[in-house]
Amino acid sequence: MSLADPPKKDVVVITNAITDMAKVVEFVDRFGATHGIPGEVSNAFNLCLDELLNNVISYGYDDRNTHEIRVELTMEDGVLTAEITDDGKPFDPSSAKLVVADRKLHSRAPGGLGILFVKTLMDELHYARKGGLNIVRITKRLREARRGNR
Amino acid sequence: MEIAEHQAGDVTILEIKGRIDSNAAGAFGDRLTSLIKGGRARLVVDLKQIIYISSAGFRALLVAGQLAEETNGTLALCALSAEVQRLFDLGSFTDLFAIYPSREEGLAKLS
Repeated sequence: MSLADPPKKDVVVITNAITDMAKVVEFVDRFGATHGIPGEVSNAFNLCLDELLNNVISYGYDDRNTHEIRVELTMEDGVLTAEITDDGKPFDPSSAKLVVADRKLHSRAPGGLGILFVKTLMDELHYARKGGLNIVRITKRLREARRGNR
Repeated sequence: MEIAEHQAGDVTILEIKGRIDSNAAGAFGDRLTSLIKGGRARLVVDLKQIIYISSAGFRALLVAGQLAEETNGTLALCALSAEVQRLFDLGSFTDLFAIYPSREEGLAKLS
């Protein structure tokens, strides 16, 4: 039964290139299929990881060097967690400003939407800075899975 | 992401498939803006087969929508799934675009 199950973990490491983010999509989909995670949950994680990784890759580095970004997924006791570790500039997405929506097309400015998606679609968004690294963790409880066979 | 283009009279339909994420948003936006700049003033973007659209995709839609407005064109969207509709609602994008339940209704309105 679920309480006796060990946590399921997997890791992918990408570089700070937007095109490398496709590897994370494949990784999340594969992890989800392997562990019976509902498609809408995998999609929510993929969307939120897209937002967070895009921030890191687009704004996290002042140099042009190649950097490694680590994404770890953990499924434990009906809770799915993704942890992003990067060596970019300190940035706490949990304290970022949310979008101020303008309902007129011509005056609507983009920005702030990604963090709004993360805060809304996930149950938790946690940030820590340790040893020169940003560690961002997003968590979602799979309510149905708690009562399932796994 | 895959984009298929269809023409129905003077309305151009873009059928998008897959994820409109950070990786795909550039190509998505470029396709929209090049059509509008090329004089295709009536566009329907069919989102029935997309899995999700990220903030980068919304930014591309916003730029294309503003360009269409400036050039007296129309950019309409159609066939949003419940999950995609939720993203539009969260971002307060639902009121910014003409959104139709089906491609047929979008076409009927723009034709």
